Amino acid sequence: MTANVIVVDLGYGDAGKGTVVDWLCARGPYATVVRFNGGAQAAHNVVTTDGRHHTFAQFGSGTFTPGVVTHLSRFMMVDPLALAAEADHLAAVGVGDALDRLTVDRDALLTTPYHRAANRARDTALRHGSCGMGIGETAAYALVCDDAPRAGDCHSPARLRRRLMRLRERLFDELGPLEVPDVEECAAAFGAFAGRARITGDGYLPGLLRAGPAVFEGAQGVLLDERFGFHPYTTWSTTTFAGAETLLAEAGDGARRLGVLRAYLTRHGPGPFVTEDPGLLRPEPHNRHGRWQGAFRTGQLDAVALRYALEVCGGADALAVTHLDAPAPLICEAYDLGARIAPAADLTGQALLTDRLLSARPRYSPVGADAAGTIEAALGVPVALRSCGPAASDKTAVSIWTRTDFSRRAIA
Amino acid sequence: MGSGIWSTNVYDAAASYRAATGASAFAYSDGGATAVHEDLDPFGVTVRESRDSDEHPESLALAVLFDVTGSMGNVPRTLQSKLPDLLGLLMRKGYVEHPQILFGAVGDATCDRAPLQVGQFESDNRMDDDLGRILLEGGGGGQMTESYELAMYFMARHTAMDCLDKRGKRGYLFLIGDELAYPKVKAREINKIIGGEQVEDIPFAAIVAELKRKYDVYFIIPEGAYYSADDRLADFWRTQLGQNVIRLDDLDAVCETIALTVGLAEDAVDLEEGLDHLREFGSGAGSSVSRALAPLNSRRGAVAVSAMPTGLDPADTEVTRL
Repeated sequence: MTANVIVVDLGYGDAGKGTVVDWLCARGPYATVVRFNGGAQAAHNVVTTDGRHHTFAQFGSGTFTPGVVTHLSRFMMVDPLALAAEADHLAAVGVGDALDRLTVDRDALLTTPYHRAANRARDTALRHGSCGMGIGETAAYALVCDDAPRAGDCHSPARLRRRLMRLRERLFDELGPLEVPDVEECAAAFGAFAGRARITGDGYLPGLLRAGPAVFEGAQGVLLDERFGFHPYTTWSTTTFAGAETLLAEAGDGARRLGVLRAYLTRHGPGPFVTEDPGLLRPEPHNRHGRWQGAFRTGQLDAVALRYALEVCGGADALAVTHLDAPAPLICEAYDLGARIAPAADLTGQALLTDRLLSARPRYSPVGADAAGTIEAALGVPVALRSCGPAASDKTAVSIWTRTDFSRRAIA
Repeated sequence: MGSGIWSTNVYDAAASYRAATGASAFAYSDGGATAVHEDLDPFGVTVRESRDSDEHPESLALAVLFDVTGSMGNVPRTLQSKLPDLLGLLMRKGYVEHPQILFGAVGDATCDRAPLQVGQFESDNRMDDDLGRILLEGGGGGQMTESYELAMYFMARHTAMDCLDKRGKRGYLFLIGDELAYPKVKAREINKIIGGEQVEDIPFAAIVAELKRKYDVYFIIPEGAYYSADDRLADFWRTQLGQNVIRLDDLDAVCETIALTVGLAEDAVDLEEGLDHLREFGSGAGSSVSRALAPLNSRRGAVAVSAMPTGLDPADTEVTRL
């Protein structure tokens, strides 16, 4: 049976994927973290047992474990500028070789200062919870222009400059002049990135997987998925297991699917949040009000939304529940909508669903003393990992990985 | 979810990447190693194999061995940073559909700790790992001679490939260096470094002839190496390999040169098209590659698709690969 594992957030993000990935890598046997969606807007917080803290954005959250390498797959949007700052911070907290342990697929899209500026210019008009990092712009530009800059272009200065030039022109045409660095400066920095990070081609990831099992680290959460999230409060990224499974299938491999959730719910920025309960607000050392993203919101457990997440992502083999030291007192088993919430066929349908959710009221029952047990029963998926704090030492594995019923989804 | 916590300042990033010297790509060598890495040690190796698989049904063997002695200066480090792109270059434009690449290194068997290092034929980036494990010898003889003949003996007798065995198609071997070979493959060195019970020395010309039945052999002389300007060098290799001696004035273009040489030999491309591809990739290597390959291009003849009949020395035939 394959030992790979895919870690995906079943909620709106912030459930603790970083801490789960860190724990998995610290315990072994994983020597590789593969990122398969999103980009530099991810913020996966990891605190080591000796108190060091890093917010992982592009590096895999297993990087504190010596030797663990990160591969940014072609489904990632890579921001070489933010990557440099992140590597510097990792060096400051004792991880000096993070860039040496990084590989980037040459087909990964690049997020540039131009995307970022366009994102911010647009978002002052339309607020839907963007991070202001240019991720949506990166994805949108690549959909309409087949010469979007990609990681591999950083090895080809002339082509990179041409592509950056065209990108900048098109965004200026659309939005007027933006405050951005000029193309030469940007190309120089991207070229330096290519001189430092290893950019790889087809066949690299399959080789890496043959060498040993990997953790596939998702970003954001299933409820923010570009197709299944509550439109328009979504991210320009597939946040389900799909991207990871595509990469694994290409490599002739498979993985276990681990869904992560908090023992209460959170959401950054606007959008439906049926069980929102401001009275539940807990101290959040690492999640703050974002200038572009909006408020950090908390709420009671929501079995309806989580079941929806499981349904749209094709189910999980096991759950990892974090923040069990402070679980929500209530769990919502039903909304007063009189109908099941189900994915629609298109974004118009998803927007209608969003409207219904904005007026839905939760029906609660108490969580009880055994929060993990309540969640397991409500979602019908076994809990494999319980976490009561930020560090790996705050986590307890339940011996779920060997349960027989667990193998139903695993690929032999 | 996050909020853009890391700085995206273009000047900071550029400075940071420039400042980050990082671990050397030759981590094994720079880590203080003094012996050949076990994965590259030819001793006791029966064969290094390039084989077809479901994923790569029509494999084509391509070997690149470079001189790692002191006379080459920084050349091995440049090669190490450039060669990982070779696979991508070959495949992107369809010059070769299923290349399997082996990297190795040549030293001096009379005095070196690492006279011969040979990785495996790989069809993915694991070949990079072999590159990273190559021990940079430095040193060398100082007599303008390295043990290329030993490396050529290994390639002739200790490699096997499906392209030849199944399809009668020779592999490609590129040697990169700046010195001459010794006049004989010494039985004593074979037994000590590769293993076996070879009793007689083998004349260099004999091993070259044997090797050319398995591989299209090229010798690349990089400018900037110690002896590269010495005419005796090019003359020596031309005597052995005919027009397959390539002088390269920009080492940064080594991948492109190898890829285009193979592209030309495979009849996948002509020189003009190939140079267009390089421009398309944004490579600035075009002029160097053009100068390096022009002699090959002008002598381009029939493309052999089957191996030479046993016993026929390709050096004597009119049929050339380019």
